[in-house]
Amino acid sequence: MSHKIMVVDDSAMSRRSLKRILESSNYEVIEADDGMAALEKYFLEKPDLVMLDMLMKGMYGLDVLTKLREIDKNARVVIVSADIQNSTREMAKEAGALDFINKPFAAESVLNIVTGILSEENTI
Amino acid sequence: MVLTERQNDALTELINIAFARTGAALSELTGHRVLLDSPSVALHLASELDNSLSRFVPGEVAWIHQVFHGPVAGDALLLLNYEGAVHLTELLTDESSDNSRLDESAREVLTEVGNILLNACLGVFGNVLHVHVGFSVPRLRLDTIQDLIAWLNRSRGELRYALVIFTRFQIKDSQVNGYLVLVLNMDSFDRLVKEIDEWIEENERKTINP
Repeated sequence: MSHKIMVVDDSAMSRRSLKRILESSNYEVIEADDGMAALEKYFLEKPDLVMLDMLMKGMYGLDVLTKLREIDKNARVVIVSADIQNSTREMAKEAGALDFINKPFAAESVLNIVTGILSEENTI
Repeated sequence: MVLTERQNDALTELINIAFARTGAALSELTGHRVLLDSPSVALHLASELDNSLSRFVPGEVAWIHQVFHGPVAGDALLLLNYEGAVHLTELLTDESSDNSRLDESAREVLTEVGNILLNACLGVFGNVLHVHVGFSVPRLRLDTIQDLIAWLNRSRGELRYALVIFTRFQIKDSQVNGYLVLVLNMDSFDRLVKEIDEWIEENERKTINP
C-alpha cells in the first residue's frame, strides 16, 4: 500500500510541483490550500506525512504544525519554504518538524527526505 | 544617509551574493540557464523613487510585495517589466499566452515566483548578516511605476530609504528586466548599516586569522 502524503500550500503552483514529484514515486497525494483545510483533512484522512508550507494566507505554517501536534503528537511534518535562512530552519526544527525543504523543489532531494522519513529515519 | 566606500563595497558584495542565489532559484524554477547582469545598486529617499525607476521600466509593471520584519524591517518589492513577467510565467507553465496578458493562473504563478525570489535574496541577507528576517504573505499587483510609488509613500510620515537594485535576467533568449526594491525606515537602515559594519569586521578578522 502506498503512503499517503498531504501537501499544504496556498500556492497551486507549488502544490502541483510537489504532487508531480511525489506521484512519480507512487505516493498518494492529497492537497490542502490553507491551514484550516489542512487540519480538517488531517483529521479525516490521517496522512502518513504532511508537507507544510511555512508562509500561507490565514494560518502560518508553524501555527498549523503546533495544531497538528495537538491533534496527533506523532504527526510527521516536513516544512517547505522559500526561506533559505538557517535561523528559519532552526525554528522549524524547534517546532517539531522532521525536516525542511527549500523551494524551488529538487525532485531527488524531496524524494530522499520523504523516503527517509517514511522508513522511520526521522532526522533533521 | 551616505555610505562610506567600504560600506558601499560590502553592500554591493552582499547583493551580488544574494542575486547569485536568486538567479540560481530562477534557473531551478524555469529549468533554463539564467544569465544575470551584474546588479547595479542605488540608494534613494523613498519619496524620490519615481525618476530612478521609470527610466528603466516604463508603462505597466508586475510587482510582488512582501513586508519583512525583524531587526531589519520594511517593504520588499520585486518589479518585473510586464512582457518579462508574461514570458516568465509562460516558461513555468509551458503555456503560450495569445493575448500577452497575465490571467489569474499566471498571476498566481508569478506571486509564488516572487515569493521564492524575494526569499532567496533576503534570506542571504539574513544568513550573512546573522539577523532573522520574517516574511508576510506575498501579494501581486499590476500597476504603473507611478501608482506603485504613490502606494509606497501613502500616508507615511516617516523618512524612508529605498535600496534599489536593478538587474536583467536573460532566460531562454528573452530578457526579463527586474528591480528589487527594499524600503526601510531610518531605524532599520541604521541597523542594516551596523550589521554590514560587523560583517566587514568579521571578514577582516578571517583574513588576518584565517
